[in-house]
Amino acid sequence: MAPREASHEPAGTPAPVETGIATLAQLRAGVKAFVDKDGEKRKAEILMIQTRAGKPKFYVHYEDFNKRLDEWIDAARIDLAREVEWPAPEKPEKKKAVASKADKAPPKVDPKNPKRSRAQIEREASGTPSEATSSNVPSKIQRKDSELLVTTEVTDGVTPKPEDEEMDVVDIQDAAAAAKAMPDEEYSREDEIEKLRTSGSMTQNQAEIARVRNIEKVQMGKFEIEPWYFSPYPIDFIDVDMVYICEFCLNYYGEETQFERHRSKCTLLHPPGNEIYRDDYVSFFEIDGRRQRTWCRNLCLLSKLFLDHKTLYYDVDPFLFYCMATRDEHGCHLVGYFSKEKESAEGYNVACILTLPQYQRKGFGKLLIDFSYLLSKREGKLGSPEKPLSDLGLLGYRAYWQEVIVDLLMDGRIEANIEDLGAASAMTTNDVLHTLQNLNMLRYTAKNQHVVVLTDAVLEQRERQKAKEKVKGKRSIEGERLMWKPPVFSAASRTWNW
Amino acid sequence: MTQRVTGQRFRQRKLSTKQNLQVLREKEIEQLADDDATRHIPKVETGVEKGEEIEHHLQAVISAAQAAAQGGGKIAQLYIPTPDAVASKLQYEDLYPKRFTQPATYIRFSSTVEDSIGCPYCMTAEDVAWLKTYNKKHKGAPCSEDDLEQAINFFEETTQTKQPYASVDNSPVLTYEELESEFDETIGESARNFARDIYIHWKDERIRRGNRPLMPTLKFETNLETDDADPYVCFRRREVRQVRKTRGRDAQVTEKLKKLRKEFEEARFLMSQVKRREMLNRDQLALDKQIFEQRSAVKEVKRRLSIKTDDEDILINQRVSLTIPMSGSAMLTASQPAPRPSKAPRLDTQMLHRNMPGMNSKSQPTRPDGRLVDSDLTYLEDQLAKKADMIDHFVDENLMKHQKWNEGWVDATWRPITPPLEQASAKSDFRRVFTDSQLPTPPASVSSEENGDTIAVNQAKQLEPRRSARIRFATPPDDVPYQDQSRFRRRTGRGGRIMVDRRGVKRQKIEAVDDRIADRWKFAGDSSEDEQVYPVDWTDNLHIRYRIMIERQGERHAQQASRRAIENHNRSMSGHSMPTGGQS
Ligand SMILES: [Zn+2]
Repeated sequence: MAPREASHEPAGTPAPVETGIATLAQLRAGVKAFVDKDGEKRKAEILMIQTRAGKPKFYVHYEDFNKRLDEWIDAARIDLAREVEWPAPEKPEKKKAVASKADKAPPKVDPKNPKRSRAQIEREASGTPSEATSSNVPSKIQRKDSELLVTTEVTDGVTPKPEDEEMDVVDIQDAAAAAKAMPDEEYSREDEIEKLRTSGSMTQNQAEIARVRNIEKVQMGKFEIEPWYFSPYPIDFIDVDMVYICEFCLNYYGEETQFERHRSKCTLLHPPGNEIYRDDYVSFFEIDGRRQRTWCRNLCLLSKLFLDHKTLYYDVDPFLFYCMATRDEHGCHLVGYFSKEKESAEGYNVACILTLPQYQRKGFGKLLIDFSYLLSKREGKLGSPEKPLSDLGLLGYRAYWQEVIVDLLMDGRIEANIEDLGAASAMTTNDVLHTLQNLNMLRYTAKNQHVVVLTDAVLEQRERQKAKEKVKGKRSIEGERLMWKPPVFSAASRTWNW
Repeated sequence: MTQRVTGQRFRQRKLSTKQNLQVLREKEIEQLADDDATRHIPKVETGVEKGEEIEHHLQAVISAAQAAAQGGGKIAQLYIPTPDAVASKLQYEDLYPKRFTQPATYIRFSSTVEDSIGCPYCMTAEDVAWLKTYNKKHKGAPCSEDDLEQAINFFEETTQTKQPYASVDNSPVLTYEELESEFDETIGESARNFARDIYIHWKDERIRRGNRPLMPTLKFETNLETDDADPYVCFRRREVRQVRKTRGRDAQVTEKLKKLRKEFEEARFLMSQVKRREMLNRDQLALDKQIFEQRSAVKEVKRRLSIKTDDEDILINQRVSLTIPMSGSAMLTASQPAPRPSKAPRLDTQMLHRNMPGMNSKSQPTRPDGRLVDSDLTYLEDQLAKKADMIDHFVDENLMKHQKWNEGWVDATWRPITPPLEQASAKSDFRRVFTDSQLPTPPASVSSEENGDTIAVNQAKQLEPRRSARIRFATPPDDVPYQDQSRFRRRTGRGGRIMVDRRGVKRQKIEAVDDRIADRWKFAGDSSEDEQVYPVDWTDNLHIRYRIMIERQGERHAQQASRRAIENHNRSMSGHSMPTGGQS
């Protein structure tokens, strides 16, 4: 069961799903069909349908795949030979609110602009869900037996060649098969907004409009990057093929001419704050959201493209941003960052953390995490990242925690105390416990005692890591290079004081 | 399985995070038959959202890692697949020239994005095309890219301030005149030259976009209902700061509640005490009433039996109770209002009338009618004080009246009221003089035996503490007619000169020197016999004229002369007592 689906179905009780054979014309938002994904048929939910160059395009979300793999596909990839699942009928009281006329109205497709028009998106964006009547909206208000909605004539196209060459997907298929689905929590829209109001920088769920990526591509520095998620960049950008982002000031431009013009004027060469750490490899800059509001907003907009649960609901004032950059003659290139509340009630030492996709899988994530714990050590506090973690976040943290804990346990000690391990690493006891448990290192002996076991597997992993470091060189944060005192803020500057 | 766990000999111990645990290698521990025991260690949440925890790729990686941790052999290098990031086709070197040189010290920087990007408006391809054609047609200096951006930026920003809802409310594009009137230093001289032409281009662009801003902008909150649901609305202000939940805050709340409870209990205690007091008051009133009734009964009996003894003896305990704890009359009336509420006021007025004509304290205890006196006593001190107050008040009042009458008038009459508490009246500038304090040297020759000496000496002593003041006021002596009184006036003339005028300066009566006195003087001093001593009236006009004359001859002489003259005068004056105001 896809996590997104659950929000419309009562938890625990499996809702009766109506299935049947559909024609291409009957497909609409909310329908789940089998889609060819890298040579394999996967169930996917259609979130949006558009007509581009006279052909329908479907924005689909694959069940049990992360949203970042959602994509636009041609009709040919949809397996209409298999039954599809119709979206669950809307609750009666909501059904009343829907004008059936509107339901049947053909989707307005701007012939000039095959994509959604900006006005349309705006209407969808600010409208309440029950009023959203456009068939493009992935809404559940349409009745399952309503008439066909896509009026554009569709001809069967050629089977598209598989474009995506997702690595490792096939290898790990079997391993993942064991993963069991769990009933998801249900969130109403009200809950969701309430969550946004009261929770920190991470959110649990998002409005429906935000389920579809709104930026096609971004150009930044030497790279072109495909965004992963929705980000509230100016609504005008849904019409452009590429958003150009200045590597230094992070300003965004929808047109190459404008961007080039900007580059001729922009004088920034590094994140606009104080350098607090420098080694041969990277520099860290500390930036106050209150003093550098524009830059930090730009950073948040950018990182939202790659962080599903990040919320930009509130402004950047109560956060500090620790930005990691590599240096060359062109300037200091932003590689990743983490944000941190000036005052965290829950004791989080990281709010959001991101290595920009163009720099991922190069070990920068570990440096960011390590740096966040170094700051906590300087503050004399234990820290933990704000939840929820993303999948990549969890893996990054687990790897870091394992390395730190195993290293501590390997220093020759014969006894270990969970709180001491936490104090030595600025990790919370919960995270220490989580790590030991996850690595199967906490055991209960026949002598009725808890013991910590340095398992062969863990030791072997560490050896391999060491060998790798010998070849590639070990990248680590050196505490003595940090020139930083925990900043002190007045009550006013911690808050949203304009 | 569960049975086996419960059937174990030892109870599972809870894992303590403070407890030291042995660190062992895998080979050092005996493998338990099953890992039930480890299940008793509470599972820690991953922190990943439940719905996502089960995602295919994450689970694949986790499972692989777990397999590895359990020693499940080789693990493939697994990654969660992510969308692509590829090398850009743009010419990086051109866009980002090599301008950065790393300083030796850590960078410190506080300029903002706004400070660093120049004009925020950046030309579009349309702008570039327009500029090209414009500069071809236009004669004279060409319009630069910066001028164009500056002008458009000015138009954009002015529109933003003047029509914040331009994109929503269909308001027309501002006219050039409207914009021109707002020109300020943000639009440079050269940009202004082209402003009118640029305006036409800008207006076209603006209309093409439905009067929306030319530069894409973020959506901020509008405080409308739709804000919350709109994912494009971002960076809201947080209205209320979240209340932090801390142990300290909890403790604070507890303390507040404790304090509140204590205060409530104190209030309750106070109320119960008030109640008790009022009960006692009621009892006392009942007793008082009883005493009163019994006394009247006794009185009746006494009257019937014609017993003429003092009433005092039957009231003895009453008086004791009142006199011992209360010493002053003030206390008597102030602290005892309750016991005899009906009796007191009536008797009080009677008493006042009766006591007025000079009752003294000895007659207090009893009254002719044999009635009880104690509570109705009026003490002499009070009466005297009252009287004194009344007198003082009367005097004060009349003094005020008098001053009012005299306002704007010079009071040349004898003072009608005895105590001269009045301030020095500005009406008469003439003041009396005390000679005794005025004289530079005391009259050595004044003899104590002489008449009036005692007064003079007394006066001097009395004035001792106020020596510094030379001139003071005095009421005129009764025995000297007004014309004869000597008076002085001090006034300030031009240039701040201070002048002393005098009037009615008495001429010494040249009386026949008493023979007896003359005789005594005969051999006084060290003067020779030939030297004759003449009594001189130094205030005589003749003498004054003489002194003035001398003055003209030289100050020293004058001083000496005057001193001598004064001495002479003093000698001559001896025995004359100056009139003093002794009434005050
Ligand atoms: Zn820039």
